Amino acid sequence: MGFWHRQSHPVRQRHFMNVVAKGLESIGAITLFAVRMIRCIFTRPRFGGETLRMMQLLAMRCLIPVGLAVSPVGAVISLQGVQAFRELGADSLLSSMLATAVFRQYSPILASVMVAAQAGSSIAARIGTMKVRGQIDALAVMSVDPVRYVVVPGFIACAIITPLLDVITTVLGIASGWFFAVPVSGVNHGAFMDNLYSQVSAVDLYVGMGKCAVFGGAVGLIAGYLGMHTSGGAAGVGRAANNTVVYTIVMILVVDYFASVMLLAMGL
Amino acid sequence: MAQESFALKIERLITLAIEFITFFRRSMAAMLFHVPPRKQFVHHAVDAGVGSVVLVILLIVFAGMGLSVQGYAAFIRFGGHDLLGTFVGIGGIRELYPVMSGIIVGARVGANLAASLANMQISEQVEALEVMGLDPMRYLVAPRMWAVTLMVPLLCGFAIVIGLGASWATAVYQLGLNSGTFMDQVAALTTWTDLAAGLLKGLVFGWLVAVIACFHGFRASKRDGAEGVGVATNRAIVHASVVCIVANMLLSALLYT
Repeated sequence: MGFWHRQSHPVRQRHFMNVVAKGLESIGAITLFAVRMIRCIFTRPRFGGETLRMMQLLAMRCLIPVGLAVSPVGAVISLQGVQAFRELGADSLLSSMLATAVFRQYSPILASVMVAAQAGSSIAARIGTMKVRGQIDALAVMSVDPVRYVVVPGFIACAIITPLLDVITTVLGIASGWFFAVPVSGVNHGAFMDNLYSQVSAVDLYVGMGKCAVFGGAVGLIAGYLGMHTSGGAAGVGRAANNTVVYTIVMILVVDYFASVMLLAMGL
Repeated sequence: MAQESFALKIERLITLAIEFITFFRRSMAAMLFHVPPRKQFVHHAVDAGVGSVVLVILLIVFAGMGLSVQGYAAFIRFGGHDLLGTFVGIGGIRELYPVMSGIIVGARVGANLAASLANMQISEQVEALEVMGLDPMRYLVAPRMWAVTLMVPLLCGFAIVIGLGASWATAVYQLGLNSGTFMDQVAALTTWTDLAAGLLKGLVFGWLVAVIACFHGFRASKRDGAEGVGVATNRAIVHASVVCIVANMLLSALLYT
């Protein structure tokens, strides 16, 4: 135990090995937390009503930010793409590039990033507040497993609503791309619609939804973990919400890169 | 959660707008017409700028690598993978790298500002400052806003360089494209004005993030308690990232058409 106590010593030494040890410690703790959570998912009792309530709340809260984040991206792709493709004389390629970019990359990534920003930080803040006020301990005293009652509904809700939001954002992204290409920049409507689905298929949508489910679950997991390990009063709540967002955004981009490489190798 | 009536929602929205306008006017006056206290400014500038460098590198390296791989995967379907340089030039340098650094700064720095200010509000430290005759706008808000506004453009420029490097390295060493072709396409498309546009975008993002984060942090009051800090942080992150993306679109439309 002595080694771990040294980590929380007030005069913390920024030694390289300390940083490494701390990182390994966090990875181990979050793995144990994930195992505990998964065991809670597959065993009774389950809190279905709480899960549904979380899903409704998160979906309502995330819908507007996610839509506002993705539709400008479709617009930007159209505006920039029209210019670039005009120079090449290939106006008609615009819509297939837009569809590929939105279906495969921007919609899943931005939907998960905005879910991380909105749902992740609010879950972490909520659990952190409960922790700071001692409500988590009160639950444990009443022999309700706090992980089961507080963390698992958030995890399931995030994992389910993120793919659903991805579908909405895909539609929104394509629609705003169409708006800025056809009425604003004067691309031919028929050419736009003809080429829209030349490069994408339903598989692309499913791949995007699958990515979103993984990212959403990770958001729920990290938010739950950091929320349950909040300490230090009100400032700690802010720190938990903040760290959740930063860690999940980095995680989303790192995992997405490796997923893209894997999909490229598989030829999807 | 209780369902609210529509009129109540509208009323709350109007209250929020009025609060924001008041805060905006007061903070801008404090920011522009007074020299911020130097010690606080330097502290927050180091915290926002140097503290975000590692995060920006990590994020943008993977964003740039992902951009190359995705662009390659999209273009190889119609045999146009030699166009990757053009794609990276437009999608990366003009859009993705600046907006990604804006989002991550909004998430890290903005949330930090909101959390620290909200924490000061709920523990009545802001009132204590007022009692001592110090204007919290000048003493707390102005140095933070100057620090973030001036640091984010530097991070944005840095992100553009790092991201281009990552995209190039992925294209050449992982995907086996010709380095010369790639760089020629990037150089044909982007000029120094694109870098300047990136810096301008960074300036706007930084300013918006600072205003929004300080507003949400400052709005918290004592009766909200610890929950208020969480709510302020959450709102700061969400509003800052959405506003960054929307502002990016408006700036792109303004600068490139």
